[in-house]
Amino acid sequence: MYLEIVSPEATLFSGEVSSVTVPGVNGEFQMLQNHAPVLSLLQAGDVKIQGDLKIDEDFQHKFTIGNNGETILAISSGTIEMKANKIIVLAD
Amino acid sequence: MANLKEIRNRIASVSSTMQITSAMKMVSAAKLKKAQDAITAMRPYSDKLTELLQGLSASLDGEAGSKFTDNRVVHKVLVVAITSNRGLCGAFNTNILKQCAVLSAKYEGKQVDFMAIGKKANDILAKKSAVIANHSDIYEDLTFENAAKIAEDLMLKFTSGEYDKIELVYNKFKNAATQIVMTEQFLPLVPVEGDTSVASDYIFEPSKPEIVEQLIPKSLKTQLFKGIRDSFASEHGARMTAMHKATDNATELRDQLKLTYNKARQAAITNEILEIVGGAEALNN
Repeated sequence: MYLEIVSPEATLFSGEVSSVTVPGVNGEFQMLQNHAPVLSLLQAGDVKIQGDLKIDEDFQHKFTIGNNGETILAISSGTIEMKANKIIVLAD
Repeated sequence: MANLKEIRNRIASVSSTMQITSAMKMVSAAKLKKAQDAITAMRPYSDKLTELLQGLSASLDGEAGSKFTDNRVVHKVLVVAITSNRGLCGAFNTNILKQCAVLSAKYEGKQVDFMAIGKKANDILAKKSAVIANHSDIYEDLTFENAAKIAEDLMLKFTSGEYDKIELVYNKFKNAATQIVMTEQFLPLVPVEGDTSVASDYIFEPSKPEIVEQLIPKSLKTQLFKGIRDSFASEHGARMTAMHKATDNATELRDQLKLTYNKARQAAITNEILEIVGGAEALNN
């Protein structure tokens, strides 16, 4: 599935991933291929991405690698929309 | 005929002014490129946010976010004037200040206060009317967080009832040579026409109204940030055009002066020859 992470200042990441875990306001949840359409608010926490990622060099400092090899982006708040295997995270 | 030395001095001064204006043009062109890229970079975020909000509020019948959509009787108006910190950019700042005067006239009989973003707005507006705050320092570090702080302050001023209407005045960036003066109603929120089908079969977490409640402040922050970014790019565009014209004028002036200089020089030489010939003639006789 396709993931796009956009902040007000730039598009931080876009590309194919296998799973995304986000800090929803009602608790953390994970999305895999063919997940039902979701629109959710996010709270402060980590967005964890599984998959073979190519991150633009300019933004590499914003991402870290977790214990299980996942890529982590810390956000302070945001919104996520998942529709037809396309995820858009608006990260503030 | 003007003194040769005088003309030479003027040519030198015009040339050095020309060097400055053309250097400023180059600097503005480089800054404009950066500012333009920044506008493009924020477009995905603002477009998506608008799309979500439109879809959601259309299916909500305007119940949520009422504290931002509250159309009260207007007693006090706040105008946020976005200008630059520096001058030498043609009519860029004047256009904004003119528009502010138009707004003051429009709300005659009501209290109109100003908030300045940019030194130029602060300097001029403070002479005639009340400027409640000056956020000129934002241009030193133009980030979303800084713009968000101002937007939060504005939202508070509206929801607390301090102001009944807030308007933004800024230069919208069209291209390097064209800026359009925009007056946008910031608060109360203008209801958007959206397409209801967008948000039909989603799982919402938390509920729809709560999401809208959270998205509205974000969209307002984005609107303000966009305005400031647009103004910033417009400023460099306007300065580039102004400096280009100044360089052109200086070139023309220098060419004219050179012509005058050469004519004067020629006249002086002719005079000298005449004198020598006259002198030789007198000796022969």
